[in-house]
Parts: sequence; structure tokens; C-alpha cells
Amino acid sequence: MMGGYGDVQMIDENGLRMDGRKPEDCRPIEIETGVIPVADGSARVIWGKNEVIAAVYGPMEAHPRKIQRQDRAVLDVRYNMAPFSTSDRIRPGFNRRSREISKVTAEALESVVLLELYPRSKIRVEIEIICAEAGTRCAGITAASVALAHAGIPMTDLVVSVASGKVNDIVVCDLNKEEDNYGEADLPMGILPNTGELVFLQMDGDLSQEEFKTAWDYNMEAASKIHEEMARALKGGDA
Amino acid sequence: MSIPLVPELLRSHLEKLAAADARIDGRARFEPRETTLETGILGNAEGSARVQMGNTIVLAGVKFQLMTPYPDRPTQGGLMCSAEVRPVAGRGWEAGPPSAESIELGRVVDRGIRESGCIDVDELCIIPGERAWQVILDLFAVSDDGNLFDAFALAGIAALRTAVVPAERFEVGEDYPLPVSKTPIMCSYHKVGGRYVLDADKREETGGDERIHITLGDDGHVHSLQKGLKGIFSAAEFDEIMEHALTRCAELRELVDNATKE
Repeated sequence: MMGGYGDVQMIDENGLRMDGRKPEDCRPIEIETGVIPVADGSARVIWGKNEVIAAVYGPMEAHPRKIQRQDRAVLDVRYNMAPFSTSDRIRPGFNRRSREISKVTAEALESVVLLELYPRSKIRVEIEIICAEAGTRCAGITAASVALAHAGIPMTDLVVSVASGKVNDIVVCDLNKEEDNYGEADLPMGILPNTGELVFLQMDGDLSQEEFKTAWDYNMEAASKIHEEMARALKGGDA
Repeated sequence: MSIPLVPELLRSHLEKLAAADARIDGRARFEPRETTLETGILGNAEGSARVQMGNTIVLAGVKFQLMTPYPDRPTQGGLMCSAEVRPVAGRGWEAGPPSAESIELGRVVDRGIRESGCIDVDELCIIPGERAWQVILDLFAVSDDGNLFDAFALAGIAALRTAVVPAERFEVGEDYPLPVSKTPIMCSYHKVGGRYVLDADKREETGGDERIHITLGDDGHVHSLQKGLKGIFSAAEFDEIMEHALTRCAELRELVDNATKE
């Protein structure tokens, strides 16, 4: 959607992207659990050049009392970018983008966490972007669901989040920074790997019905690969 | 929101341990936790470091911005040090505007670095009165198991010593390493069970009293001091920890030298 579309060739004559990936390929992804020793559950996701950490604290007493829910736990989710995570420093403090991402992330995770098991309590999920290179919200949701599982919080499924988009009129999966700068569309999804159902969906840009279908399918295929790495990290070895 | 009863139980446990000259994790009074330092770990920062001391983990990142020099100091750039302890780092840290504790942390670390004169702000000037570099050191806690002060100070100076001024990106000449002439090091002591210990962990902080932070320069010069929290200490107690700080700071300085060597 950014200016300059069409000026820069992001896909070569062999159909390969600047970093050598095919359109349907996702960047390399590496997940580790237990990276925050004082947390009840934690995970680090290194996805391309993105580095994201997530911590889970709880279930714990919800206070002040007015935030308590009699029938279930409250899921308190924050997404934040560290000041040094981007090329231009981010000033700490309130930020509309982070607020929105926190909200949709919370709603995605609330859809799978068995909150009714912990009435009147609170579960805190903290997502911190340490190094950003396009696709941080997807990396954040993925990291948070691994951290929740690592904390032993009962869930109906993990949430795998991945986005596809369009550059030079070609649908590609998991845009990197350069592609994102010249991207013509972005379709991030939150997918339940066991059922293929969705708990998170956003989109902006311009996609034809066929392109939309391709982007959707790319996300579904990528999700099953990412899920393998999530499972490997949680099982603490080769899955 | 702490429940007062638990610290009381913890306090009396720590007092009993102190009477037997023991610590809650089995360390000697002036024995630090295992400390590791890595540099160049953040892809989007111009200088960076990660410090782990036991289960305490922190990151430091250096960013640069162009600024207009202040009218009364037209040939000087700026240095800003900011510490943020976000709720990711522990159960006790809450969301919201920076707490007094995290502001104190940032300011004490800032003073140690600033007052040592390790960064010559005159060298940050590009065009007098018009353009200069502002160096921003951001300290970020990943996991707080006590003594964030020393971890932040160590990560901070290591990040500065590996920073490269991104002049090319801002189109003001060629990139060059940030000149950092000294290595100020902080050493913190907490009163636990009636006597000072080095590098307190979270339980010792919770069940202890006052703390003293000492920042020493290469030549042993004192660059910043801070006494925090309620408590009374004697000159003899201070002498003892100052003498120890001279040794410990030298050890940590060697760690920085080794981690920042090319």
C-alpha cells in the first residue's frame, strides 16, 4: 500500500523472492520455551529477523476486584515494541497501534484458553517485540500461545498466526521488511492447527477473489509447518 | 500489592541465615551470581548487550537521533538513558506509567555513565548550533530476579562501547564507532539480615532493608552513589562495601573488555 509500488522488482524472472524464497515459503522460524526464568511460562520466537518474547503470569488473584469475573478468568494481554526494536527508536508509552494489536491478540487467545476453569482470577500475557522485521503481530500471537501452553494453562488448541500478502501483483506468504514496504496487501490470520478454524483475521490492501483464496491457502499451509516447530519447542526436542 | 505477612516470614528466615553467615541461595556474603555478557545481539540497535546474572536477564540497546544543540551548549550533543521495567519481567511489575522504582533505576544508571565522562558530548556535535547526535541508551528488563541496577549498568556500558554512529543512514558522513573513553561499573549491596551482601536476588530484596549503589571509574574514582529504601548504615559498613566494590568493579570491567573486543 506504500508508495513506490511497481518501481521496485521484488520477484525475479524465476519467480523467486529477493531472499530466495518461493511465493508460498515462510521465513525460517525457531521457537524456544523457558526463556524468562521468573515467569510461569515463556517463549521466544525468532522468525526471520523478528525476535519476540512472551511471558505468562498466573492464574493469579485479579485485582482490583472490579475487574474480576464471577464465571471465568480475565486474560490481560499486552503487545509492546521495545524502544530499540526498530530502525527509528520507539518512544515508550501509549500507542494506538499497540493497543489495537493487544486487543485482537487477547480476543484470539480468549477463544482457546479455558478461562471458565479459573473464576475470579487473572492470567497475564506479556508480548514484547525485541527486534522487528514485519509480521510482529503474528509472531507475537504465536509466541503467546506457546507461552500459555508452557505455563500449563489448559487450551482447546494452540494458535498459529501467519500472514500472506501481495508484492508486484504476486501473492506471497510471510512478507519480510522490504516486501512489506512495497506490499500491496496483507492478510494476517490466527489458525487453530488441529481444526483449521480461525480465531484472528485482519486484512488491508487490495486482493482479487482469486488472490484472496491463494493468500488464505498459503497461510493454512504455512500454519501447519509453524505448528510443527511450536510442538517441537513444547516437547523439548525433536517432535 | 504485597501481603505484609509473607515478607515478615521471609525477613526472619533471612535473619536466621545471616546469623549463621549464610545466604538463601547458598552464596557467600560477597559472592556474585554467575554473570554473563554478550554484545551485538539486537539487529535493529546501533549497539547492544545482554546480561544474565543468575535468573536476572536484561537487554540494552543504543539508538541515535539528530538533535538541535541547546542554545547554551551549541557544540554539544546529548546522552539519554532510559530504563523500562515492563510487566513482562516479573509478577510484581505492573502495567502503566513508569513507576518510581523504574525511574530511579534509569536515573542512577544514567548518572554513573554520564558523570564518568566516558562519552564526550563535544564529539557528538556535527554542525555547531545546528546539528548534533543524541545518544539514547534504552535498558530493558526481560527477567527480574533481583539487582536490576548492576545488570542494567553492565549491559548499558557494554552496549555503548559497541555502538556505531549511523551517520550513513542519516546522510551526515560515514559510520564510525561511538567514542567511549572509560568503563564505569556499578556494584550494588543490599542490607539483608542486618549485614550487606553483594548482588541480592529477588527474595533478598523483598526481605531486606536499604541498598547502596556505587559506580566506580577505571581509576577507582567514584562517579555515582545512591542509597535506596528505608534503613540506617554506619561509616564502617560503608567502608567495607566500598573496599569490596573496588575489587568487584575491576572484575566486571574485565568482563566488559573481553565482550567488547573486536
